[in-house]
Amino acid sequence: MVTKQGGGVSAQTLDKSQLLRMYEQMKTIREFEERAGKEFASGKVPGFVHLYAGEEAVAVGVCSHLTDDDYITSHHRGHGHCIAKGVSLREMVAELLGREAGACRGKGGSMHIADVNKGMLGANGIVGGGFPLAAGAGLTAKFNDRGQVAVCFFGDGAGNQGTFHEGLNLAGIWKLPVIFVAENNGYAESTPVSYHMSCRDIADRAAGYNMPGVTVDGLDVFAVYEAAGEAIARSRRGEGPSLIECKTYRYYGHFEGDAILYRTKEEEESYRARDPIKAMRRVLVDRGIVHDAELEAIDKKVQDSIDLAWQFAEAAPYPAPEDALTDVYVKYP
Amino acid sequence: MLKEEHSMSQPLVGIIANPASGRDIRRLVAYGTVFDNNEKTAIVRRVLLGLEAVGVTRVAYMPEHDFGILPRALTMMSSRHHGPSLQAEPLQMPVLATSADSTRAAQMLAEMSAGCIITLGGDGTNRAVAKGSGNVPLVPISTGTNNVFPAFIEGTIAGMAAGLVASGCVGASAARRAPRLAVLVNGEEKESALVDVVLSSVPFVASRAIWDLSTVHEVVLSRVAPATIGLSALGGALLNGTAEGAEQSGMHILLGRGALQVLVALAPGLVEWVVVREYRRLAMDDVVHFQPSTGTIALDGEREIELSQTSVVEVRLCADGPFVVDVPAALEGAALAGHLHRGSTSFRGTAGDHKGSPSHATPPSPLRDGGFTCMDEEPHR
Amino acid sequence: MAVAIRQMTYAQAINDAIRMEMRRDPRVILMGEDVAGGATIAHLQDDEAWGGVLGVTKGLVQEFGRNRVLDTPITEAGFIGAAVGAASTGLRPIAELMFVDFFGVCWDQIFDQGAKLRYMFGGKASCPLVIRTMIGAGMGAAGQHSGCHYSVFTHMPGIKTVVPSTPADAKGLLEGAIRDDDLVVVFENKMLYNVSGDVPEGEYVIPPGKADIKREGIDITIVAISRMVHQALEAADTLQAQGISAEIVDPRSLSPLDEDTILDSVAKTHRLIVVDEDNPRCSVATDIAALVADKAFSELDAPIKLVTAPHTPVPFSPPLEQFYIPSPERIVATVQELTG
Repeated sequence: MVTKQGGGVSAQTLDKSQLLRMYEQMKTIREFEERAGKEFASGKVPGFVHLYAGEEAVAVGVCSHLTDDDYITSHHRGHGHCIAKGVSLREMVAELLGREAGACRGKGGSMHIADVNKGMLGANGIVGGGFPLAAGAGLTAKFNDRGQVAVCFFGDGAGNQGTFHEGLNLAGIWKLPVIFVAENNGYAESTPVSYHMSCRDIADRAAGYNMPGVTVDGLDVFAVYEAAGEAIARSRRGEGPSLIECKTYRYYGHFEGDAILYRTKEEEESYRARDPIKAMRRVLVDRGIVHDAELEAIDKKVQDSIDLAWQFAEAAPYPAPEDALTDVYVKYP
Repeated sequence: MLKEEHSMSQPLVGIIANPASGRDIRRLVAYGTVFDNNEKTAIVRRVLLGLEAVGVTRVAYMPEHDFGILPRALTMMSSRHHGPSLQAEPLQMPVLATSADSTRAAQMLAEMSAGCIITLGGDGTNRAVAKGSGNVPLVPISTGTNNVFPAFIEGTIAGMAAGLVASGCVGASAARRAPRLAVLVNGEEKESALVDVVLSSVPFVASRAIWDLSTVHEVVLSRVAPATIGLSALGGALLNGTAEGAEQSGMHILLGRGALQVLVALAPGLVEWVVVREYRRLAMDDVVHFQPSTGTIALDGEREIELSQTSVVEVRLCADGPFVVDVPAALEGAALAGHLHRGSTSFRGTAGDHKGSPSHATPPSPLRDGGFTCMDEEPHR
Repeated sequence: MAVAIRQMTYAQAINDAIRMEMRRDPRVILMGEDVAGGATIAHLQDDEAWGGVLGVTKGLVQEFGRNRVLDTPITEAGFIGAAVGAASTGLRPIAELMFVDFFGVCWDQIFDQGAKLRYMFGGKASCPLVIRTMIGAGMGAAGQHSGCHYSVFTHMPGIKTVVPSTPADAKGLLEGAIRDDDLVVVFENKMLYNVSGDVPEGEYVIPPGKADIKREGIDITIVAISRMVHQALEAADTLQAQGISAEIVDPRSLSPLDEDTILDSVAKTHRLIVVDEDNPRCSVATDIAALVADKAFSELDAPIKLVTAPHTPVPFSPPLEQFYIPSPERIVATVQELTG
C-alpha cells in the first residue's frame, strides 16, 4: 500500500528481514543471469540475451521502495528489473525458452518480458523506448491520485535518444511522479561514455528539465536505496520527477556472444573487486547483523529456486504453432 | 610528462578538480542544484587563463578515468586567448575514481614541490586533498554542496592568485594555516576532517550525506562560522560573545533532549531548529571522546567510517591543517608590490603604502621580464 | 574481358561493396551505431573492434579512418537526419539503421525530410543517401528485431528500395545504391549474412530497377523477395520432382520495380504466386498482384496467390516463428493449388 505522505526512507530504518530480502533479491538476479548465460552458451536459449550481472544493487535498491501498484519501464537488459519487481522466476525462464507457460506465453522472449499486473511494463528492445511510456504511466498515477510512482530504468546509451529529452520534459512540465534511473555502466554497446555523451554525467542534464539530479555509487545498494527512497518519497508527495544516475558496471558483454574486447581485463577486475553483493554481505556480517550461515542458507535457497525454475521451464510445452495468430487485437473484426 | 625538476624559475601549479562534487543526494533531500561538470570545465578554463596571465607555464592536474574536466577545458580554449606557453599535463597515477585519487594527486604535487594547488570541490574534496598536500598552499574554489572550507571565488582570480603565490610574488602573509580535526579510532589516527566530525546513528555509509538531524548526537567543529551552511553554522548560532578569536577555536556540541533550540541552515534551503543539550569551546589540542556506539562517523558532511559496538572514537582539534591562500590579500599584495604594473612608475597613487618616489626602479616582475625573480623579494605592504 | 569471380559470403560482399565505393569516391562516408566500434578506446586492436553488431563492416575504419567511418551514439533520429543533411549538402553517406524495426525512431527524417526535399524544392536539391538496414525473422530476435517492412518504404514517393537475396546481388545492389543520386534503402536479410556465393571482384554495380530470373521455368511464376528466393528455390526442387517447372523471379529492386520482367514471365507461365516475408496488408505482394491483375489479366489462367507472413508481429518462440515465416512446404502447397 503506497502512501502519499511521509518522508523518505533512509538506510537506518532497514531491519534485518528487509536487509536479508535485499540480499536475497540481489543474489537471485546474479544467479539467474549466470545460469541464463550458461544455458545460452549451450544453445538452449534462442535469440539474444543481455545480462544484468554486476548491476544488481540498482534494481534492488530502487525496487525495494515499490509495490505492485507502482510502475517500472525497463530495457533490453531487463531480467534484473523483472526479478526485483517480483516477476515469477519460472515464468521468466519459460519465456526465455519460448514456452507457453512463459510470462508472455512465449511470444516475447528475453527482451520483452513483462508483467503488467505487477506494474512491470516490459523489457524493451528499442533503446529509449521507455521514456515516453514511463511519462504516460506517471500521467496515470497522477490521475489516480493515490501516491503511485513510475520508475524509468535506462542506460547511458539511451540518455542520448530524443525520447530522453521528450520524456523528461513532459515529466518536468506536468510534474509527473516519475523517477528516471540511469544505469550508467560506461558503455553503449562497444562505445564508451567519454565518446558518446557530450556531458560527463547524466545527472548534469536534469536541471534543464526542472528536476533534481543526483549521482550515486550504483555498486552500493545502500546508497541507491537512500537516493531512490528520497526520490520516490518526493514523487509520492506530489513534488514531481527526479533523475538518479547510478554509476555501475555490467560484468558481461552488451549481449552474450560479445567478446568484450573493448574493455580491459584490469578494468573488469577492478569492478569485480567492488562486487555489490559481496560488499553487502561483508557489511552485514562485519556489523553482526547476520551470521555467515544465514547467508549461506539464503544462497542455497536461491540456487534451488533457480534450479526449480529451469526444471519447470524445460519440461513446459511449446505453444501450438497457430498460437502465433492470437492476441494481436482484443477483438478483430 | 612533467619532469620533477625543482626549477625556481618555473613554478608548478597543481589543479585537482573533483568531477563527483556537487551532485549528491542533497539535491533530493534539500535544495542543492547540480554543479554540472561543464560548468567546472568553464571555471578551469578561466583558472588556466588566470595562471597564464601571471606567467605560470607548468600545470599538473589530477587525471580522470574518462575524458575529464581538464582535457575538455584545454581543448576548448580559443587560440586567440591561449598562448602556447602553458603546459598542462596529467599526473602519472592510477585512477580509482574515488576520493583517494584527490589525496594521491595532492601527495604527488607536494612531492613535486608545487607552489600552489587549486581545487574545485566542496568540503569533502578539500578534506581528501588536505590529507596529501602537506605544506603546499591551497586555493579552494567552491563547486560542492557544503562549502565552509572552499570559497566562492571566480576562476580567473583564483588562477591569478595561485600563480602569484606559486611564483613567490606574494609571500607567507597571503596564506593562513587552517585547523583540522584528527579522528582516532581505537587509538589510531584513521582520518582527518577540515570542518566537522559528526557521530550519526545511521549504520551505513550509503549515500554519505547527513540531512536528518534526528540521527545526529554529537558534533565537533574545527571552527565556528555563522554565515555558512551545515553543522558549522550550528556553532555559529551558539556564539555568545565569550570567546575571543572565534575563528581560531572549535566547539563540541551534544544534540538531543534539552531546553535550548538553535536555528541552523543545515543544507541548501534546509533551515531547522535543532535541540542542543550541551556545548563547549575547544582550544587547540583538546580531545573529545565520543560515547561508544554503532553508527557512522561523518567527516565534513559525509558519512565515512562505519563503527562497531566496540569502536572507541576520539577527535582532536589540531593546528596543523592545510595552508589556505587568502585570495584578496594575495592580489592586494601583488598590486602593492607592483607585480600587476608595467611601464611608467611616475604615477602616484593616493592610498596606502606604496613605493612612492619616482626614482624607485620598477621592481622585476614575471609579467614583464619573462623570468621569475620574485622569490628573492619580500612583498611590500 | 572476363571478370574474376570469388566465393564470398553475403556479409563479405557488402563489406566489399562499401570498400570499393569508399576507395572510388572520397565523399562516401559510413555512419552508424558501432559500425567501427570502441571509439576512443586506446587499447583496442584494429581487428578487435566490432565492425557492426554482426561484424559486417569490420575492417573499414582501419582503411578509411574515423573521419569517414563514424560511430554514432544511439540516436537514430539524430544521425539518420544528419545523414540526410550531409547528403543534401554534398557528401554521399551510407547510414546504417541497425534493425529496420527501429525506423519508427527516425521515420520523420527519412520520409518527411529525405524523401521529399527534392520534390518540395522544385528539383533543385537531392538526397543521395544510402540507408542499409537489417530485416528478417528466423534468429529468435523477437518482435522488435525481426520485421521486413520494406513495403512501408516502397510506398513512399522519393525513396528507392532494394532487397538483395544473394552475395553477388548484395554487392551489386549496394554499389548501385551508393552511385544512385536518390535516397536508396538497402534491406539486408540477417539470415543470409553467412550464405556463400560467387561474387565478381572489383567494382560491381547493379543500378536499382532491374529484376533477375533466379530459375527458369514454364508452369508458374514465383515472385520471391529477399530470403524467400531461397525458400522458393527449395520449393522449386520439390515441384520439379512432381513435374512442375517453376520460374523464380527475384525483383531485387522494389522501387523502382522491374514490371516488364514480371509481366513477361506471367505471359510465359500464366500463373503467379508472390512469396513475401512481410505482413500481408498493403504489402509488396499485394502491390505486385494488383500490377499483374491490371496489366496481364488476360494472361492469367488462375487467380494470383500470395504466400506471406500472417498479420501479426514476429513471435519469439521457435515453433511460432517458424509458423510465421513462409516455408518451402507452404509454397509447394500453394503452387499445387494453382496447378492441380
